[in-house]
Amino acid sequence: MSVIAPKFRLGYLVKGITDNIFWIIVLLTLIGIPAVQIVLIYIDFPVIDGEIWNPFRVFDAMTHPERALPLVKNFMQTDLFKVVAFPGFGFAALIAAAVIFVERKMLAKLQLRVGPFYCGKVEGILQLMADGLKLISKEIIIPAKADKPLFWAVPVLFAATAGAFVALIPVAPGWVVADIDLGLLAVFAVIGFFPIITILAGWASNSKFPFIGGIRALYQMVSFEIPLILSLLGIVMLTGTLNLSEIVESQVNFPWIIFMPIGAIVFFICILAELERIPFDLPEAESEIVAGWLTELSGMMYGLVQLGSYLKLYAFAALFVVLFLGGWNGPWVYPIEPMAEIITDGIVIMPDALVIKDIPGLPLFPQEMINGTIWFILKTAAVIFFILLPRGVFPRVRIDLLLKIGWYKLIVLAFINIFIALALVYGGIIGPGGIM
Amino acid sequence: MVGETVAGYSNVLFMFGFAVLALAPALVISRMISPRTKSNPVKFLPMECGQVPSGAGRTHFMMQYYAYILMFVIFDVMAIFLYAWGSTLLDLPKEATLPILAFLGIMFAAMAFALYQTKRKNIW
Repeated sequence: MSVIAPKFRLGYLVKGITDNIFWIIVLLTLIGIPAVQIVLIYIDFPVIDGEIWNPFRVFDAMTHPERALPLVKNFMQTDLFKVVAFPGFGFAALIAAAVIFVERKMLAKLQLRVGPFYCGKVEGILQLMADGLKLISKEIIIPAKADKPLFWAVPVLFAATAGAFVALIPVAPGWVVADIDLGLLAVFAVIGFFPIITILAGWASNSKFPFIGGIRALYQMVSFEIPLILSLLGIVMLTGTLNLSEIVESQVNFPWIIFMPIGAIVFFICILAELERIPFDLPEAESEIVAGWLTELSGMMYGLVQLGSYLKLYAFAALFVVLFLGGWNGPWVYPIEPMAEIITDGIVIMPDALVIKDIPGLPLFPQEMINGTIWFILKTAAVIFFILLPRGVFPRVRIDLLLKIGWYKLIVLAFINIFIALALVYGGIIGPGGIM
Repeated sequence: MVGETVAGYSNVLFMFGFAVLALAPALVISRMISPRTKSNPVKFLPMECGQVPSGAGRTHFMMQYYAYILMFVIFDVMAIFLYAWGSTLLDLPKEATLPILAFLGIMFAAMAFALYQTKRKNIW
């Protein structure tokens, strides 16, 4: 037997409905009308083929793919698309998610376990989604006497700084969020923020283990920053530019790893240290100082820091590819010309109702961009594999050995790399008079 | 010209801002849907492996890297100076490399001496 809820009164119902209507009107007035005004008055409409597009034409174009195509192509050249989707955040977050899954599965295979298995039927492919749901539904506990604004800001700052690092990476010819002349120096500047955020997290949480972890992160940065910077000097000497896109274009014939293997090895070891991965994961050494600087972060805060650290992993691997492995350069694996029937006949979207023919400029992306992206992703996946591998193989180094590796060995090797580059230039092998 | 340069850098900030806008709601949503159980005396204490924490959280730790910090300050600046030279190397005359080699030699000798001293004084 069902009854109306015992506390039901018509007056309450009417009050609820009028309240909702009131709030909808208030929100529309305060947000909707200014938004419409901004769109109509301040935003520059795209100019395609010499015509200005207004909102009416945009809505009109949405009704038919043929008319919407120029708009879509125009949108994909804007900064917004680059930041949100392709070379920027969406692309990097997708790769980061894939890396998290591959790492757990690969590590399990290395240690003769199964790893994630049940979630999502096929080899636990939905495990990441389950973990995300778990993290977002957990309570965030902030330790007593913590510096609350800083403590809340740390996970967001960490992930956003990793995002700013991703912005500097060129993925395909012309496809980079921030194509700046001093790209490599900007990379060093962004890298320098990570230890600061780490030690902020340690300080803000008012707890001893995070503080020790933050201090260790600073320690590690101090001993590995200089070899990291010096190991890339050889490439800058041979290419004469700091722009990352131009560095990639200089490797059409040979990737720089052929001429400077020592620099590549030094840079790779520094990557491992900067990423706080296993041989050098002293700041979050889980068997020594609980979880290091992550100890007090709970729930979604921890999730955001993990996302940030995997974005950082992608960015460093991509930087290695850009600098040493030739970025997007590679033989054609994708058809050089788009398929003829796409240009002449168009594509069939809805088989019965709608056949679109003769759409000008239908291949949305140029062929060389797709080919370049394929090579870039393949090389990045290979580098990420070699970054993940030590986690299943090596133990953690002691902190004094870490210092010795950084100060006594890597800096000397980086200097040797500089002199190799000098010899290549003045020996006439590379540069004016030599190849390239 | 200046505007174009600044616009290139502003994209980095744009990406930073977008990441903040995209990720901060995760914390807000988590705060909204997660349970808020009642507080008890030990819930908000800092983690200290099950013990009630003793002393202040932000205390002093002996890390003893003062000598390395001093060296870092010097050699980090040196490394960035080398970039100013290295990025224009192909345009410079060959004689211009000799002063840089002398500079490198002086810095390298200084670093070797400093590392020798840290080892002799047994600072790590």
